[in-house]
Amino acid sequence: MATLELSGVTVRFGANPVVDGVSLSVHAGEVVGLIGPNGAGKTVTFNVVTGLQKPTSGRVLLHGRDVTSAPPHARTAMGLGRTFQVVQLFRGLSVVENVAVAAHHHTRSGMISDALHLPWRGRALAEARERSLAVLDFLGLSSLADVPVDALPVGQARLVELGRALALQPDVLLLDEPASGLDPAETHEFVELLARVRAVLGVGMLLVEHDMGVVMPLCDHVVVMNQGKVLAAGRPDEVRHDPQVLEAYLGAPEPDDAQAVS
Amino acid sequence: MTWRLYLGLALGGLPIGALYALQALGTVLVYRTTRVFSFAQAGLGMVAAFTAASLSRDHGWPTWIAVLLGVAVAVAVSVVMERFTVRPTKGAVQKTVVTLGWLLGLQGLGGVIFGVTGTAAQPASPQHEVWSIRSIAWRFTSLDLLALVTVVVIAVALGLFLSRTAFGTAMRGVADDPEAARLVGLRAGTIASVSWGLGGALAGIAGVLAAAETNLDQVSLLVLTVEGLAAALVGRLESLPLTLAGGFGLGVLQPVVDQAVDGRRQAGVPELFALVVVLVALALRRRRGRADQGGAGLPPAPLGALPTGRTAIGMAAGVLIVAVVAPLLKSTITWADDVASTAIWSTAVLSLVLLAGVVGQVSICAGTFMGVGAFGAGIAFGAGLPFLLALLVGAALAGVAAVLVGLPAIRLEPLELAIATVSVAFTADQFLFKWTPFVGPSRSRDLRPPGFANGDPAPSGHGLAGHRGYAWLCIVLFVLCALGVANLRRGRSGAALTALRSSGAATSAMGFSVPATKLKGFAAAGFVAGVAGVLLAGLFGQASATGQVGSPFDTTHSITLIAYAVIAGLGSVPGTVVGGLLVTVPAALTASSSGLASQDSAYWIQAFSGAVLVLIVVLSPEGLAGLAARARQLGQRGPDVAVAPAVG
Repeated sequence: MATLELSGVTVRFGANPVVDGVSLSVHAGEVVGLIGPNGAGKTVTFNVVTGLQKPTSGRVLLHGRDVTSAPPHARTAMGLGRTFQVVQLFRGLSVVENVAVAAHHHTRSGMISDALHLPWRGRALAEARERSLAVLDFLGLSSLADVPVDALPVGQARLVELGRALALQPDVLLLDEPASGLDPAETHEFVELLARVRAVLGVGMLLVEHDMGVVMPLCDHVVVMNQGKVLAAGRPDEVRHDPQVLEAYLGAPEPDDAQAVS
Repeated sequence: MTWRLYLGLALGGLPIGALYALQALGTVLVYRTTRVFSFAQAGLGMVAAFTAASLSRDHGWPTWIAVLLGVAVAVAVSVVMERFTVRPTKGAVQKTVVTLGWLLGLQGLGGVIFGVTGTAAQPASPQHEVWSIRSIAWRFTSLDLLALVTVVVIAVALGLFLSRTAFGTAMRGVADDPEAARLVGLRAGTIASVSWGLGGALAGIAGVLAAAETNLDQVSLLVLTVEGLAAALVGRLESLPLTLAGGFGLGVLQPVVDQAVDGRRQAGVPELFALVVVLVALALRRRRGRADQGGAGLPPAPLGALPTGRTAIGMAAGVLIVAVVAPLLKSTITWADDVASTAIWSTAVLSLVLLAGVVGQVSICAGTFMGVGAFGAGIAFGAGLPFLLALLVGAALAGVAAVLVGLPAIRLEPLELAIATVSVAFTADQFLFKWTPFVGPSRSRDLRPPGFANGDPAPSGHGLAGHRGYAWLCIVLFVLCALGVANLRRGRSGAALTALRSSGAATSAMGFSVPATKLKGFAAAGFVAGVAGVLLAGLFGQASATGQVGSPFDTTHSITLIAYAVIAGLGSVPGTVVGGLLVTVPAALTASSSGLASQDSAYWIQAFSGAVLVLIVVLSPEGLAGLAARARQLGQRGPDVAVAPAVG
């Protein structure tokens, strides 16, 4: 059974479908790339997965359970973690505090026990901090733990956001253009880090990305969308040579861009 | 027979509707050009009315010159307000808080200079009947005619000005695109000044007419604010015709609805109706996606710079001991009551710190929650519960009330929430706190703390021991609440609440339900406000919605509370004590007791609070606590350790 599965997802804005019968699945530990030209419907599809967009028809399954109408936070509880296209860190908090917000996902401490400072709250706080520091250590961010996130350059902010998502201990990680705003060197590092995350933690990923330099080396499976439909799907090397894909992407049979990345 | 009654009522509402419309047109104009929602409009109206009345009646000037000068003063104040306080302030919500400060300040100043009585504001204007229809009990005076004609003429002129002149077109464009103004050779600043000036003129004319029609006083000032705001929302803060329709519609429908539900037995039905209009208009506005882009709320309090947890408690306790406990030792009854009062108002400010500083929501109905708590406890006390249990019941009820307010409110932008909660506060004044099953037939309920002898007239009739004991109780409860809030901020819920202020999407991606988290914040803030309300009522020996300066739970006090919270520094737990002292010290200095000063000094305090609020928001958005934190930072580190600038 796939960890995450979309079947026949259609989203209409008014009369015209923006996403039209899209099906895809992410298995445990698998990295799936969702690519396509601008306006292909990638972002809307992504929003259907995260729960920000309700599909007109079709279903979203997490671990085989229908979550089509579940709100975003309920999906997080079922093993979905995500990052944002424009980094959305919690301002005014330090790096470790940002990650700890996510780590709290696994602690149990309610508002009343928080306010009364009951014993288990102390444990929950310590636990969350410990877990957060472990994640930061894994990402090589330990030295930044107490730095306010507002002071971070975008490259490090992306790493912190990744750490925050990992602290949720997700089964599937949704990455929305993780390389946007990064320079080529940073992008390269980020790709290596994601590969390590997948190898060590065994987290499945679904990533929406423009940069073929990210998609090609990282993905086991690539889904190409065009005009709301799935145009092609398969291994990166298969997809890259698919004439339909080349045409949709470049409008020309001879791809400079696609070759440059191999 | 009944249709005649309703027709008469509806027609009778037209002149009032015209005033609402005029008031709302100014709000819409200002919002359209500068994207600032101004609460100060009615305050400007009062300035114009009082000036005109004073000149024409007390100094014998011709009415028309007096009115002209009154309106001119309103224009001048409005332009000054925009140029020197609103423009330098960053952030849509902060700008709105500045206008709240002006409302408070002008309201207080008006009271100081002209006294409270509404008749003082009535210019010498002859009112004679021009038309009446006896069968529907309707009469139409020259003044009514003047109001209607004025509004229609102004609306048409304004519409033509905005659509037909180059300057008007630039005004329409400038909010969304400052470049548009430059294209026609105008500076955005000039346009802002002109639009605020015009807004001030509209407010001034509305104020003069309102004073002549209804005897403008502190309450009708708020009526104009709240109903004008409802009409402006009907116009989606955008359309002049819809705003006009909203104003007239409200004026016509309010008396009809009131009659339909038999308003003679229940006060506040028209205000309840207006609240419904506000909430529906806000809901529709959201559905149309017309929410402001700039509504990012208050910036997160600089949590790193502010003490949390035990440090905060230590500091709060320190401030308390120095400021109030020491005097308690030499206590007289007055001292003890002032101490209790400081702790109580600190608790009230704490509730706002929780909501505004931690959740990031500017709610302007803390006084309402206090009142719900006080009367809730009064009911429980009347049913035979001991004081402390009644306190719990009242506070819990206030928590529930906060959740009820929160339910429609949590989906609103911070600015919209501020608008909605002002309506809630005003509706509570006019409806809930006049609703006999809740407040009792005399609008007061007994609530006697232990040690306060039964039947004693509050507060002077009790023994010193009782008052001293009560002061200690208030201090202990304040410290417990402060401890709770500080702990909350450090825990899991606090993490979620803090996260929420930066990004709702990211917070829900962390597995926290955004509505549930906000509602919990509302519930906790309501509970704390409820505790403050019960304790305040206990100090007087009764929960009462009447008072010589208005109920301690009314809209003005709610606005004052947010002022104190902002002045003290939202997000600062020790700052709440400063907030409490801001209530009691001026009151004590002006020789009265218990945080509710005599009429005159109350106006002075109000004017002072408004002025300080404006100054603080302009100079230091993080309040006194922010100033303190900045001073500490300056002392601690040199420029060489400055962190790298933020990117992205």
